[in-house]
Amino acid sequence: MPLAFAALCPIWGMWRRKACFPWSLLGVAITSFLVWSLIGKVNASKVVAYNVSGWRPPWGIQIRIDYMGLLMACLITGVGLMLLIYSWRYIVSEIKEERIPYYYTLYLLIFTAMLGFSITSDLFNFFVFMEIFSITSYALVAISGERMALRAAFKYLLMGAISSLTVLFAIAFLYSATGSLNMLDISSRLKSTAYLPVASVALILFIAAFAVKSALFPVHVWLPDAHSIAPSPVSALLSALVIKMGVLGIFRILFTVYGHSFSGLSSTWNSIAGVVAWAAALSIILGSVMAIIQRDLKIMIAYSSVSQIGYILLGITLISTRGMAGGLYNIVAHAMGKACLFLVAGIFIYKHGLRRIENLRGIGRTMPVTAGAFALAALSIVGVPPSAGFVAKWYILWGCFQEGQYAFVIVVLLGSLLSAVYCFRVVYYMFFTGAGRPGVGLDEAPFTMLAPTAILSVGTLFFGIFATLLLPSLNNAARVLLLK
Amino acid sequence: MSKIVHSVLPAIIMAVPWLAIPGAVLWGKKRPGAAKAVYVGCTAATFLLITTMYPRAMDGVVSVQHLVEVAPGINLAFRVDTLGFYFAILLSVIWLLTTVYSLGYIRTRETRYYCFTAINLSFCLGVAFSANMFTLFVFYELMSLFTYPLIIHEETEIARRAGLKYLVYTITAGAVILAALIMQYYYGGTLSFLGHGTLNSETISKPVLLIIFSVYMLGFGVKACIMPLHGWVPDAHPAAPSPTSALLSGVILKVGAFGIIRVLFDVFGIKLLGDLGVALPMLWVASFTIIVASLFAITQNDLKRRLAYSSVAQVSYIILGLFLLSPDGAIGGLLQIAHHAFMKGTLFLCAGIIIHETGKRDIREMNGIGSKLPITMLAFSVAALGMMGTPLTCGFITKWELGLGSIQAHRPYFIAVLLLSALLNAVYFLPIIYIAFFKGDPMDKLLKHETSRTMMVPVIIGAAFVVILGIFVTVPGLPYSLVKIVVKALF
Repeated sequence: MPLAFAALCPIWGMWRRKACFPWSLLGVAITSFLVWSLIGKVNASKVVAYNVSGWRPPWGIQIRIDYMGLLMACLITGVGLMLLIYSWRYIVSEIKEERIPYYYTLYLLIFTAMLGFSITSDLFNFFVFMEIFSITSYALVAISGERMALRAAFKYLLMGAISSLTVLFAIAFLYSATGSLNMLDISSRLKSTAYLPVASVALILFIAAFAVKSALFPVHVWLPDAHSIAPSPVSALLSALVIKMGVLGIFRILFTVYGHSFSGLSSTWNSIAGVVAWAAALSIILGSVMAIIQRDLKIMIAYSSVSQIGYILLGITLISTRGMAGGLYNIVAHAMGKACLFLVAGIFIYKHGLRRIENLRGIGRTMPVTAGAFALAALSIVGVPPSAGFVAKWYILWGCFQEGQYAFVIVVLLGSLLSAVYCFRVVYYMFFTGAGRPGVGLDEAPFTMLAPTAILSVGTLFFGIFATLLLPSLNNAARVLLLK
Repeated sequence: MSKIVHSVLPAIIMAVPWLAIPGAVLWGKKRPGAAKAVYVGCTAATFLLITTMYPRAMDGVVSVQHLVEVAPGINLAFRVDTLGFYFAILLSVIWLLTTVYSLGYIRTRETRYYCFTAINLSFCLGVAFSANMFTLFVFYELMSLFTYPLIIHEETEIARRAGLKYLVYTITAGAVILAALIMQYYYGGTLSFLGHGTLNSETISKPVLLIIFSVYMLGFGVKACIMPLHGWVPDAHPAAPSPTSALLSGVILKVGAFGIIRVLFDVFGIKLLGDLGVALPMLWVASFTIIVASLFAITQNDLKRRLAYSSVAQVSYIILGLFLLSPDGAIGGLLQIAHHAFMKGTLFLCAGIIIHETGKRDIREMNGIGSKLPITMLAFSVAALGMMGTPLTCGFITKWELGLGSIQAHRPYFIAVLLLSALLNAVYFLPIIYIAFFKGDPMDKLLKHETSRTMMVPVIIGAAFVVILGIFVTVPGLPYSLVKIVVKALF
């Protein structure tokens, strides 16, 4: 397993500051390669399982890569690799030199923890990895050491810690009830009705806790501060991947641990899914509205994440196969699109120190590639065809019709109108205002920053046109999970 | 059943306009001549390539091309039937005229203008060639978004405000169309165009069909400027540079109408629409638009604004003709697409010359302008006479067919709408001609100076078409022959 390698990497870099970047790059690249080599295997046999130190599931720790885990792992490695390359030049300008090794250390830690979180099938491990990526993300937010950053990190820490604690409680409840920590084992034991009350309480605790992690309305308040104040590659990492871990948590609990068809729990389960769906709908609308009234580019992008997470969770909790496929697809679409937006925002800060949207006048003329990448990614966030975001919305809408949830149809459409407002406003400032300054030619960012940004934005288009690469498997996965 | 052949031509044709971009970007500043040559060359090449599809279109052969399956059951694909060919050839001709014209007219930010005009040509062709509602929607949305830079080209405060209004209307409409699209897919099971309706009244309940229909009309009605969804039109047209106004009126409004045509013929089918009983309300809406927009046009003093309101009225002729659900009505409606494109295109290009040469937009200031710009105003008069439906112009042919169609549909009272509209057209066009030619100072003749040739030639060709299409109606290759084939296949 790649985890150990990645975790050991940074130690080397501690005393050779300059070597940090290539060393972590090597670690991430090898990990990515290993993860991608699993794609064929998982597609063929559905699940790859590995029992750590040979103990069999109910007792030992099992690592289990199902389709969902693989999707997340691929996303983490792919986007993570891009962000790391981008960090190389960027991070030098934003944080103190002596902290750079810490940055790479933390980066690899969070990377490892997220991978672990996606592929473990043991609840305790689940918690441990969650704690690692949470704590490292507090540290990454605070890494610049500025006052604002510390404040944002503290706010994040406060909410994150409470939610982690809640998860721990919930796990304890489940353990006391079932005597097991393996997800599948718990799932099968829960079928006997003796544990009902405890299990329902645990379910509620789990969902509440992961709602904080995924920044669902109304517990999203930590996100705009943390995501906008962190250095840009970190913002991208947090928005594109870390909050998806909260989504994954909700997903794992709802579908892997509890499951749709329990006779005894189904009413609790359904009402919780309903509550999450409505919270997601509110996230979509309010996140977008908040994004519209922002003047700082990064805060705007951060609020947009709240709204996009709403789409994902709405899709998942529609409990229809199409909606679920759409929700999962939006994980991919949003990870690439949002990472790209944050990277572009980062380039503006790096080159010109610009954070406010009005100050971006005419920047599309001197930095056409950067601004073009932003426009392309924005199209995906809005859901204009043919982009990945469009495919996701299409499936979510389809899911709404399947379940007869017409109110959500309106929410989804209204949400994309609102996101059009905040996205196109920025595009407008970049391209259509400000006289072209004569004599100023192209003034682009360094290649190592530009390339990841461009790749991510082209990715949103690619996955919009060639959605058949993923969709059939997502549909199948959804069908299996929902037993339809 | 029509014959089907596979062809790679649609994708190639759509790719050609994109070739203008490297030319415009690389040479825009240093060698403007080369950039212009590439830009016009690409547009002309597109036109020529489309003409190669002419024999197939005349035989009713359908060319299909499958591009990529985006999601299971949802494809990007092309299918060029006679209707698609008709629309494509028309829009490439109009594009060519405005392209040549814009060489003389556009003096600032040429690179951006050339690029986005070329891209829009490609997307409009995509709409014309689309094989299913999904493909149509994709290119329709892209076209809508990429028109924005053309509208705000001059970057004045007025243009910005008009652009914003345009965006609000068009993006909202996009979301509405998406809703209709997904309903069609969910209930009907397919989005393909097969030359007949695919929705089935036996499996889908009537209220659902009505909802799908109304949502589609709301969505496409914004581009086809059915009142009261027309709000962006009178602002966007005057704000945009004149070649863009000509494109907006001549083609882009028609793309909305084209969407409605596809909904009518390929989603619902004529029979189902007849059964649903939605034709009559649509006819009333169209009539209302024709009359009220004409009345608004009379009150406008800004020339381009008056023309814009006239477009709102004229596009509803298309809707009127189609929803008569009779063969002659459909011929009239489809003919109107081409005829109006030439008439209104010419008018906007003339308005552009007036603005370019004299800087005047207000009709009241145009005394004697016919003496200064005799050829321009002559062309303007020809096109204006066409709008009034004078015999020997193409406007007459349209009105004649529409009249026949309404009798055929047993709804002769819509002839009254046509006559009233012709009268109102006269009310708002004749004064312009009068002011231009008969109200000036005789000394104005001394100031005569026509504009550059690149702007003059397209205007003359446009005006010539107005007359040619009115006299040589049945010559093969002109709109009537194509429309006849389309309608014959449908009824």
